[in-house]
Amino acid sequence: MTVFKTFWKVIIKYKGTILLYTILLVVFGTLNMASNDTSTVFVDSKPNILIVNNDVYEGVTKNLIDYLQNNTNIVEVEDNEEARDDALFYRDVNYIIYINEGYRDDVLNGLNPVIDIKTTGDYQASLAQMILEKYIKVQNSYLADITDENELIAAINNNLEEESKIQINSTVDTATTSRLARYFNFASYSIMAAVIFIICLVLSSFHEKTVNKRIIISSMNYRKHNQLILTSSFLYSVIVWILYVVLGVILFGDALFNLRGFIYILNTFVFTFCALTIAILISTLVKNKDTVSGIVNVVALGSAFLCGAFVPTELLPDTVLNIAHVLPAYWYINSNELLANIEAINFNTLQPIFINSLVIIGFAILFIVINNIILKKKQIVG
Amino acid sequence: MFWHNFKYSIKTLARNKMLLFWTFAFPIILGTLFSMAFSGVENGEKLDIINIAIVESEYFNDDEIFNETFKNLSDENNESRLFNITYTDLDNSKQMLEDEKIVGYLEFKENDVDITVKSSGVNETILKLVVDEVISQKKMIETLITKEIENTISSGNFNVDYDQIYNNVINVIASSEANLNNISSDNLSYIMIEFYTLIAMAALYGGVISMFITNYKLANMSAVGKRTSITPIHKGSMLLGSLLASYFVQLIGMGLLFLYTIFVLNVDYGSNLLLVILLALVGSLAGLALGVFVATIFKTNENTKMGILIAFTMLCSFLSGMMGITMKYVVDKNIPILNIINPASMITDGFYSLYYYDTLDRFYFNLISLIIFSALMIFISYSGLRRQKYDSI
Repeated sequence: MTVFKTFWKVIIKYKGTILLYTILLVVFGTLNMASNDTSTVFVDSKPNILIVNNDVYEGVTKNLIDYLQNNTNIVEVEDNEEARDDALFYRDVNYIIYINEGYRDDVLNGLNPVIDIKTTGDYQASLAQMILEKYIKVQNSYLADITDENELIAAINNNLEEESKIQINSTVDTATTSRLARYFNFASYSIMAAVIFIICLVLSSFHEKTVNKRIIISSMNYRKHNQLILTSSFLYSVIVWILYVVLGVILFGDALFNLRGFIYILNTFVFTFCALTIAILISTLVKNKDTVSGIVNVVALGSAFLCGAFVPTELLPDTVLNIAHVLPAYWYINSNELLANIEAINFNTLQPIFINSLVIIGFAILFIVINNIILKKKQIVG
Repeated sequence: MFWHNFKYSIKTLARNKMLLFWTFAFPIILGTLFSMAFSGVENGEKLDIINIAIVESEYFNDDEIFNETFKNLSDENNESRLFNITYTDLDNSKQMLEDEKIVGYLEFKENDVDITVKSSGVNETILKLVVDEVISQKKMIETLITKEIENTISSGNFNVDYDQIYNNVINVIASSEANLNNISSDNLSYIMIEFYTLIAMAALYGGVISMFITNYKLANMSAVGKRTSITPIHKGSMLLGSLLASYFVQLIGMGLLFLYTIFVLNVDYGSNLLLVILLALVGSLAGLALGVFVATIFKTNENTKMGILIAFTMLCSFLSGMMGITMKYVVDKNIPILNIINPASMITDGFYSLYYYDTLDRFYFNLISLIIFSALMIFISYSGLRRQKYDSI
């Protein structure tokens, strides 16, 4: 009982660190939750743009601005060029349109005036440009025959108001499931950090030279001591797992109370167990507390970056993903993503997820075996 | 004595492996991870060729304008190629949409076209926009032809050449492209900010080195500190020697990080190398000043001081966008004062203004802010350090 109690005493000392990783999870794991609402009605994507009008707000100029206002999101930014440039760089806006002085007159004179633009070059910007080009094209075409401004505006608006029919044909609500996947993907980092970091620190307290010597000469059987340490570590990992599952339930509610949610939770358990084996292996390899924090940061951050806990896997380059295959987090995140897109859950569709879990368990066994080999060697030397 | 102290300070620092790991290796490792994880992000945001399907039918084949437009937009030799089209039947289209092999499919009916997609999104909107545009063009052609015919007839000419009019109208539409002039900067890669915050973090992490070396000179922090304190040597010269040594070590780390980010990670710092180096020097100085400040002002043990310094550095890096670039912009836009006094943000913003802006006003503003920050930190530490006496330790 002494060992068990001491273990928890040390854990409590590190509650700040555990809290930190949990807060990170809540903040970043749920960051994208607000966007992406599900709907069976098609909603046009509207790029974020800025219009700088140096011309009069009348006639064709006004009509262009009104049209853009209806088809894009106009972002409010301070009225100076630096603020606009910043907004463009940080992708607050994707496209800036400068309407030069005299635009209205030039259009009416058929001069096809130059429109200055700034673009981020991404797909939102391409969309904005298409919207702008479409309008200008209609305007220029009608200008060939219509010279009266009001008539021109009427013709343009009449032409543009026609829209094609579009319908949505979808069966799964992928928005909710992908939010779940995102949460659990980020959880892979929090779990790794919270489990490996804390367990390594606690175990290194036990491994401290003077403490360790006292433990060795104590009357307690060394097997029993180890067993207690392992049990407590396991118990701690289970608590971390439960904490993050409960957090998930608080954040997502009903979405976790079904077969899909159950598999998410189960997968997370398998992964937490694997993190525990990594923790034990690292604590066997490294005794020094300072070194532990270095190694754990590199391992946890590394696997989070490379496996897609922070950046979605579809945005990671193939070479990175290939490297990531050697990390357990890759298989866990892969399962999360797969699970988000499965429509009918049955034995066949779940097969790849089972295989991923087996790989993670394989990793865990591997770590345990390596750990035991090292321990044995150390005993002989000692 | 100055050089003696300088030499031994460097030796002490070089032996502290953990210190070197956090200040030298960790930023490099983090930078490598950034580069691996983020290298695909910007390309992923570019407009890809969109996979769609068109349900084959006589209505589609008969519709010349639709036919031409989509043929043109899916032509592999076309620079502005937008679509990759599969021509197939309805069931197959549905299946492909279900399997997410296509974004949507078009089904042509008499004088009408239906678009079916799986969800709302940018690619879907583009598909709709193109279809809208073709519909708008058809309408335009109709109106223009009617108008032309009216004009011809009203001018007294009843001998209407329909082909001629049709061709005219098509020419008018074809030559009606917008006249856009792109004036955006070439340096728009926002991922660079990640690396700038990394440099900022590394610069402030340098404070760990100066804090370590200052603790070494403080009588209430270490046995060595007690011994050096009772030597009859001017404290200022001794501290200066140690701090110069720590600055020297810090700059080696910074130099390695720069070489690594420039040559291995291909980070772009803009074209003004001298100013980049100047900013790195001043940034490191700010880190050094911060370290001395924490070491002298907080009367507590070494671990707590370390905790304070790291926590402060991480908070600054967070606000300057290391954990998400938008953060910096959000703070800049809404609570600008927070980033004006944040040394990590001064460094990040300094690099950003060198990379993105042609003018240097903003850069110098950041540089001077950093110098003021460093001077302030050193001044406060100096007043705290001088004439220290201990009744008992």
